[in-house]
Amino acid sequence: MNWTAIALKNILRRPIRSILTVAGVGVAIAMLFNLLEFQRGYEKGLRSELSDLGAHIMIVPRGCPYEAATIVLHGGKWPRYMDEEWYQIVRGTEGIEASTAIIMDAIIRDGGRENLIYMGIDENYPSLRQSWRYASGDWFSGTQAAILGSSVARSMGVTAGGSITIEEKGRIPATEVTVAGVLERTNSQDDGLVFLPQHTMQQIFGLQGKLVMILVKLADVTQTEQVTAALRSASAEADAGMNIFPLSELLGTLTSLLSSTRVFVLAIVAVAFIIGGVGVLTTILMAVYERTREIGMMKAMGAAKSDIFRLIWLETLFTTIGGGVAGILLALLSGRGVVALLKTILPHTPADFALGMSGSTLAICMGVSVVLGVVAGTWPAWRAASISPITAIRGGSS
Amino acid sequence: MAIRNLWRSYERGSETVHALAEFDLTVQPGEMVGIVGRSGSGKTTLLNQIGCLDRPTTGQVIIAGTDVTALPERELVAFRRDHIGFIFQLFYLLPTLSVAENVGMPMLFARAHDRERVRAICERVGLADQMTALPGSLDGGDMQRVAIARALVNDPALLLADEPTGRLERQARDEVLDIFDDLRADGLAIVMATHDLEQAARCGRVIELRDGRRLEHAYEDSWPKAHCAT
Repeated sequence: MNWTAIALKNILRRPIRSILTVAGVGVAIAMLFNLLEFQRGYEKGLRSELSDLGAHIMIVPRGCPYEAATIVLHGGKWPRYMDEEWYQIVRGTEGIEASTAIIMDAIIRDGGRENLIYMGIDENYPSLRQSWRYASGDWFSGTQAAILGSSVARSMGVTAGGSITIEEKGRIPATEVTVAGVLERTNSQDDGLVFLPQHTMQQIFGLQGKLVMILVKLADVTQTEQVTAALRSASAEADAGMNIFPLSELLGTLTSLLSSTRVFVLAIVAVAFIIGGVGVLTTILMAVYERTREIGMMKAMGAAKSDIFRLIWLETLFTTIGGGVAGILLALLSGRGVVALLKTILPHTPADFALGMSGSTLAICMGVSVVLGVVAGTWPAWRAASISPITAIRGGSS
Repeated sequence: MAIRNLWRSYERGSETVHALAEFDLTVQPGEMVGIVGRSGSGKTTLLNQIGCLDRPTTGQVIIAGTDVTALPERELVAFRRDHIGFIFQLFYLLPTLSVAENVGMPMLFARAHDRERVRAICERVGLADQMTALPGSLDGGDMQRVAIARALVNDPALLLADEPTGRLERQARDEVLDIFDDLRADGLAIVMATHDLEQAARCGRVIELRDGRRLEHAYEDSWPKAHCAT
């Protein structure tokens, strides 16, 4: 027999009350776990997504650059364009290893339920997409050709050599193009895109001379600031309506956009912890009150104040640690649902965003559980340790 | 165990109440002393003083050669744990612990848990077959046996019992008193507070308290016969 066994048995004396207390702590820990994993998963996903672009600087038409970036990252339709001739300003800037100009549009299908996104690319695009592998076929074999992402090809049921028809009633007349290649799965937004030669797309969609984005890869990443400044200066001189920003800046801004949400959620988590902590405190105080005579007997038998303090403290600690374990399990079980919910709420979530289970998050959650137990248990434990055996036993002589 | 000129007084408003006054008593090893008196006469106050649960206003309590009234709190706790066993009317067993675990608890306080010792004590009080049982499955007599075993497990010099049979049926009460007789025969000093005159009759000596003071009876040593007849 030892103190741990006695503490655990005491917790199990009132199973329903203990379960409810553990559940209160568990909900708070689950919220904290999801918040931390969300933060980690979001940044990781965003970094991966931006890294997949293979570029260091992004140039989009004037307007909100973050809205543009979001559309570019996910694909979509954005009614702002740059003049194609501005691309020459970019190409003429020093320090650039590669660049590619992109046009993008979307066609609504199935009565508005689905968007099929088309991206017009030039011959420089693959140099920024080192991870591209063809499941079948290859690069555009002619002007009336397309390359399909793996998901699109699967949903359309076509392979290289087949054909697809591009059409939107009232806007885009039916145009048939040959499928030159189908990409292997990339786990990026590319899986859901249809790629067309840039000029072909401009013609089909009536966007001649227009671009949505220019991606720039630098020869030396340490020169990002200087090249960005040079591009901005050249753009200003030519009075080009371009918004130029490094992707590192975009990452920082998109993550900081989340900060306000995070602070809000953190406040809710804090409230949950206060409620959970008060629940634990109340439960343990109630247990101490109910067991006053018993504690008096233990002191009469020779239990030191430190023995009683330790017993009550251990009971609190086991309750909150139990809450920590339950909370982590709850977070893991609810992870997918939380991600699905967040995707409907947040303006942008990375494509491969998921809530995982990192060692640091586990350590933080268990650490918080222990701290909660230590804090919530101190007062009841001190009260129990201070009980006078005479008073306690007299109280029990009814 | 020797008590010398013990006083325990309380302030109640402007009045001083003497729960115990001018109390002297000596108990030898192997002696069972009964403390009788009406409710409020000071029986429990006296046991609290002997048991080091409370400190006297003045006077001395000497147990096994140690003046416990002079001990600091920490040493008093250890002294109580190692030299004094308590038995209460309400048993105060922990319902989630088995008989053996309840009995062994004082050893946990002494950081000296010894399963063999627990087994031996349980056998001595007739609980050998119920060591794994939970208190809720025992009758009152067996619960008091557990409480007795728990009080004895640290091998005390003095056993204090406050109305130990107050909630027991006659047969269970007699069995508990039989155990006390055995313990006394083995040299344990026992002080038992009781209302029960028949129970007091089984003590070697009986002290009567009234308003915190010891009544001087010429028949203290022959108290059983004198009172049980009435």
